[in-house]
Amino acid sequence: MGNLNVSILRYNPEKDDKPYYQDFSISEWSNDMRVLDILHEIKWKHDGTLTFRRSCAHGICGSDGMKINGKNRLACSLLLGDINTNKPIVIEPLPSLPIIKDLVVDMSSFFLKYEVVKPYLINTTPPPSDSERLQTNEDAEKLFESAKCILCACCTTSCPSTWTNENYIGPAALLKTYRFAYDTRDDAQDERLDIIDTPDGIWRCHTIFNCIEACPKEINITWHISQLKKKISTREI
Amino acid sequence: MQTIDNQVENKKKIKTFDQKEWIKENLSYKKDSGSWAWILHRITGIALIAYLFLHIYSLSPLTEGKAAFNSKMEQFTTPFFMVLEWFLFAFVLFHALNGIRIVIVDWADGAKYHKPLYRLSWIVGIILFLGMGFLMFSYEIGVLTK
Repeated sequence: MGNLNVSILRYNPEKDDKPYYQDFSISEWSNDMRVLDILHEIKWKHDGTLTFRRSCAHGICGSDGMKINGKNRLACSLLLGDINTNKPIVIEPLPSLPIIKDLVVDMSSFFLKYEVVKPYLINTTPPPSDSERLQTNEDAEKLFESAKCILCACCTTSCPSTWTNENYIGPAALLKTYRFAYDTRDDAQDERLDIIDTPDGIWRCHTIFNCIEACPKEINITWHISQLKKKISTREI
Repeated sequence: MQTIDNQVENKKKIKTFDQKEWIKENLSYKKDSGSWAWILHRITGIALIAYLFLHIYSLSPLTEGKAAFNSKMEQFTTPFFMVLEWFLFAFVLFHALNGIRIVIVDWADGAKYHKPLYRLSWIVGIILFLGMGFLMFSYEIGVLTK
């Protein structure tokens, strides 16, 4: 196998006026390596200034979301064997978020949108003294898929609605709304639906399905959003 | 004491793209059936609005009487305009069938099978498009005679 070519969007706020692509040529690589291993290879042996986030490196923490070959995904969950290695691999930071340095983006707006939908249980009645708040298996199963979200921001930054409207609340926050609005233990369903039933809320979702393609946990986000749309348009005001 | 957030705040941050550069991002981002359906839905929608104005303009000779209207309508029977009308039908078809697909996605769990729905709308669309072509041009190409 020949050298693997990687093209990375670099930006150092202290030196550069604008981001630029830097090419690297990697000689030690194999098809069972992940893109994250290639980034490590570059950082450890080629250029120590390359900056990126990663923590668990096993697709659980969701910190290494980036745009690889034109699509948002986790660098730690993408094998080189699954992409075309004959062409250079293009690695860019997540779209539409401000770049702090190289592949590190400022996620504050993403987490602000997440906080807006109140991502916690709202229940004013005290829990039973002898047990937890119990749910039936069927009720719990409705939430399993939506609870798998790891907040990597791949979905929200892949959405064309976010690109044109930075105030759009985004698929991740809407998925979190579903997770609590459909929880039988939660008392604030109406309040949650009011938050997303706004011009910059759920109605900016045009079912483009980029979020499903980007989600590393393979959550069908658009299906969950469609359930919320149905609930909002059929509820009594 | 400065927090890490403040330090970041003080340095210059840059966006990968301006909100104005959404066209560039749409072009560079990898597109699957859902993106194509959305892009084509927008394009056909805008084209149909443009056609609406053309339609009203072409009907305007109605105010000048029967003869003026008939002579205007005569123009649209030329092969050039008939081919244009055939493609207008294609635009209407895509917009209508994809509209039905969106209704199914939003109201009937269609998000779970949106890709087969997209393929189905193309198959149905192409069949209807060819069928309409046959109806429009069968006299011209001599399959049917008047």
